[in-house]
Amino acid sequence: MFEDDIKKLKVCDFDELPGPKSKEELDEMKAPFEDYCRKAFDVGNEFVKPDALKGIRWLSTTMYIFTPHSVANIAELGAECIKIEMPRMGDAMRHTSPFNEAYLYPLHDTRPMSGTGLGFTNANVNKYFVTLDYHVPEAKKLYYNLVRQSDGLTECYRHGTFDRWKQGYRDLMEINPRFIYVWGGGFGYGPKIFGGSYDILGQAHAGLSSVTGAHEDFGGHSTKATNWVIDWYSGTQITVCMLAALHYRRKTGLGTMIEFSQVQAATRCLGYTVPLYGKFGIVRQRWGNWDTQLCVHGIIMTGKTDFPDAENPQDKFETRYVMVSAFQDADFKELCNIIKKPDLFSSYKTHKERVGAPAQMEIYAAIEKWAANKSRAEVVRILKEHGLLAAPVMNDREVYECDHYRQRGTVRWNDDPLFGDVVCQSAYSAGLMSKTPRRHKWQWRPVGADNVKIYHELLGVPMSKINEMYNKGII
Amino acid sequence: MAKEKRDIEIKSRADTLPLMGPDVRPWPVTPPPSPEECMKVYEKRKAGEFGKFLEDNLRLDYRFDKPEALKDFKMLGMGLWRMGHKFCTGLLAEQGMEFINIEPPTGDPARQLTPFGREEYMLKDKAAGTPCGLDFLHELRNAQSITLNIETVEGREIYKKLAMLVDVIVEEYPPGYMDSLGLGYRQLSKLNPGLIYCWIGQRGQWGPMKDEVSKFGQWMLSPFGACADSWVANTGFPPDQCPRGGKGGDPVRSGVWLDDYVAGEQSAVSILAALYYREEFRGGGQFIETTAAEALMDILDFDITWYGFNKSIKARTGAWDPNLNQYEWNPCKDGYMMIGGQTDRLWYRIGMCIERDLPMFGRLIHEDPLLKEMAARNALQSLIKTYTVTTKWLRDINRIEAETKLMEYEIAAGPILYIDEVCEFPHFKYRPWVNTIEDEQYGTVLYAESCGAYQHRTPARVKWLGRPLGHDNGEVYKRYLGYGPMKLRELKAKGVI
Repeated sequence: MFEDDIKKLKVCDFDELPGPKSKEELDEMKAPFEDYCRKAFDVGNEFVKPDALKGIRWLSTTMYIFTPHSVANIAELGAECIKIEMPRMGDAMRHTSPFNEAYLYPLHDTRPMSGTGLGFTNANVNKYFVTLDYHVPEAKKLYYNLVRQSDGLTECYRHGTFDRWKQGYRDLMEINPRFIYVWGGGFGYGPKIFGGSYDILGQAHAGLSSVTGAHEDFGGHSTKATNWVIDWYSGTQITVCMLAALHYRRKTGLGTMIEFSQVQAATRCLGYTVPLYGKFGIVRQRWGNWDTQLCVHGIIMTGKTDFPDAENPQDKFETRYVMVSAFQDADFKELCNIIKKPDLFSSYKTHKERVGAPAQMEIYAAIEKWAANKSRAEVVRILKEHGLLAAPVMNDREVYECDHYRQRGTVRWNDDPLFGDVVCQSAYSAGLMSKTPRRHKWQWRPVGADNVKIYHELLGVPMSKINEMYNKGII
Repeated sequence: MAKEKRDIEIKSRADTLPLMGPDVRPWPVTPPPSPEECMKVYEKRKAGEFGKFLEDNLRLDYRFDKPEALKDFKMLGMGLWRMGHKFCTGLLAEQGMEFINIEPPTGDPARQLTPFGREEYMLKDKAAGTPCGLDFLHELRNAQSITLNIETVEGREIYKKLAMLVDVIVEEYPPGYMDSLGLGYRQLSKLNPGLIYCWIGQRGQWGPMKDEVSKFGQWMLSPFGACADSWVANTGFPPDQCPRGGKGGDPVRSGVWLDDYVAGEQSAVSILAALYYREEFRGGGQFIETTAAEALMDILDFDITWYGFNKSIKARTGAWDPNLNQYEWNPCKDGYMMIGGQTDRLWYRIGMCIERDLPMFGRLIHEDPLLKEMAARNALQSLIKTYTVTTKWLRDINRIEAETKLMEYEIAAGPILYIDEVCEFPHFKYRPWVNTIEDEQYGTVLYAESCGAYQHRTPARVKWLGRPLGHDNGEVYKRYLGYGPMKLRELKAKGVI
């Protein structure tokens, strides 16, 4: 044996050997995977763990959903976010509520106009709420001082408005070169720069709704997503850009300006639609509840609902849809046997054959015919018993009651300091993190609730001055 | 414009295919507006100087003149079928993160996906002529493609070595699969404590309703996520507006794999935040889990909160929004017209516009005391009344007429556009938001531009689109592990790569 090899044998350090080093580690390595996950994410104990973005301070001069959400995203991750609203009025979204029915009132205050509409939910989580009227010269100094002490800002005003008010990127980069400035809006520089935009404009204008809904040959129409999906989805992409810019700033100390257009973001998620048009001139159409690229992979209607005696019509009439997926050959064969149509499999043995449009129409019709005398629960049970993939289309009540989300902590009751018990469906659900979990501290606060905390405690404005500015309507 | 007249005989659809494509029929068909025309638009609002600043600093044309934000980080992608890991890694790779996508030697089945099974709509690479589906091509941006069979012992060892060299792994296999091979977070984090490991799925890798695999090994794909969080139940027309049973009156899924996209982008956020924590506070790596169902529930407005508030189960309202009036699209002569504007300022402007053609609008809508208060306008009967009268105006005019008339009043309104119209929309062409790339492998391809590309210092960029299977085996294995051609040939023979 060579001397070198002997030396190697001698320095056999226990710690350097692979494998667990303590009983705890051994247990961790041996635990079933699910238990390991439960322990890693430790639902319910988020607040004993550190914040990922501790020390970041971000200004949110935003309204509606799109840009507020991009900042709420980092507020959930631990950044300190300050939302600036117009004095007395606040974000227009505060006055938005489904069918004008649902408003939350602070526990101590039941005046008729003091409620906030549920439309405001989730887009401004964990923010501090201050007011400021930028039009007044006195307000400018407060604004600039906030900029000096912050890492970035997200705004949603018509392009050029902040620049005209001397509070845009061109001015702010002079007083804080590390500042990251985000403009979020509909269009950005170009011929339609001043065009206003909403979520629904993004859905309509950029092609998303042209491919969503039942095909017109079947009597269907272009369908709007139930939520303000383009607002939310584009807002999250702004957050990606903000965090990437923060990483670059860590290295170089340089801020930047990000111009983000939500109308564009709607086109970004269309997948093959754009290259298909570009290469072959094919204009993609709607295809309802089926899939253009996979079959069977779609939603079918069953003959009976799950809760025929329920009081709520959503339970009584609508609980009859099932997501069925059996596109691989063996799965499809089994499905054909279950619905007693083995000849279907003989006609469509390969996936290429059954994903064609006429084949899809025939196959889904056959499945729905089989399901015509069954309820949703029966269909799901039968398919799952045979080892296939199927799931009910769940409504809000079922999601609320679902044990899965409760165990994972993604639907939970929150004891809000102002509004009492409120169901929380956001923040935790955006993604579980083992070391720096997101957390939901408060849903929102009244207009100007943190004026003293920010203007007095952070910027050192005397209380008498704060009262004076409040009375003048500056804050 | 066609340069010369050609005699073409079209007997089947196959004959039309060579007549299409960016080389034959270049995009855009009509030229985009010129910068001079845009300057006039800026000047109109006295923002000429500001507009010039934007054009000089943010234009897409300058993206390759600037550095990349995330170039110091490296990422592995391990996923099949779904869009979640593709969109997540795509967003990060557009920002400059080095991205290696690992596929089994048989390739990601998503490469085979093509609408209605039409192989003629797949693109063939120059090297081997293997067809690839357009979804895969479009989403795997800036990805280096390597093959690795982790079902072999040697493949698992190679995977572990790669995992020690990267900052991020984005993984999408069924719950517990990688862990059972000894390649999950709990094993890899021992080898690389700084590793950020993100799993993306439909409903979860743990919990009573976690992701399932069929008896025959089929994975759970989108829209299982959207079905599990009430997005599907709440989207679509109610049976009062369209008949049920495939005729438009059912809950409906999104035309795209929306829940996957949403999960992908939230994963990118969590990964970047975790990287920030690791770098700034030296806090080490961590385990992240994102699901399509929950990520979509995070942005499902207030729907579950509303149930908790007063047991309301949100009903479907088709193309109308139950929170705002006006905020909807309704049918017009040649399609659908979207109109939006709920504040008094816009509400009355919309009315003034419609009233010019349809005088009864003012009497029926503006003078209705129930519709005078902004919040009261979105009671259900108010929506029905407003939209009935609005559609009476819309049904006799085309989209372009309605848009022109509404634009005179500066209302955020617009028609529903199909993709051919989107690609020819002047603003889209000017930016451009759809763009062509001359791909090394697949020729000229039209693609949706990165949304982060309009930035002062570190714009996101698309360097290339999806690549043929194993295209980067030689370079990646040499650069990371020092494997030369001999070793790769040996591994290939053993079925490891």
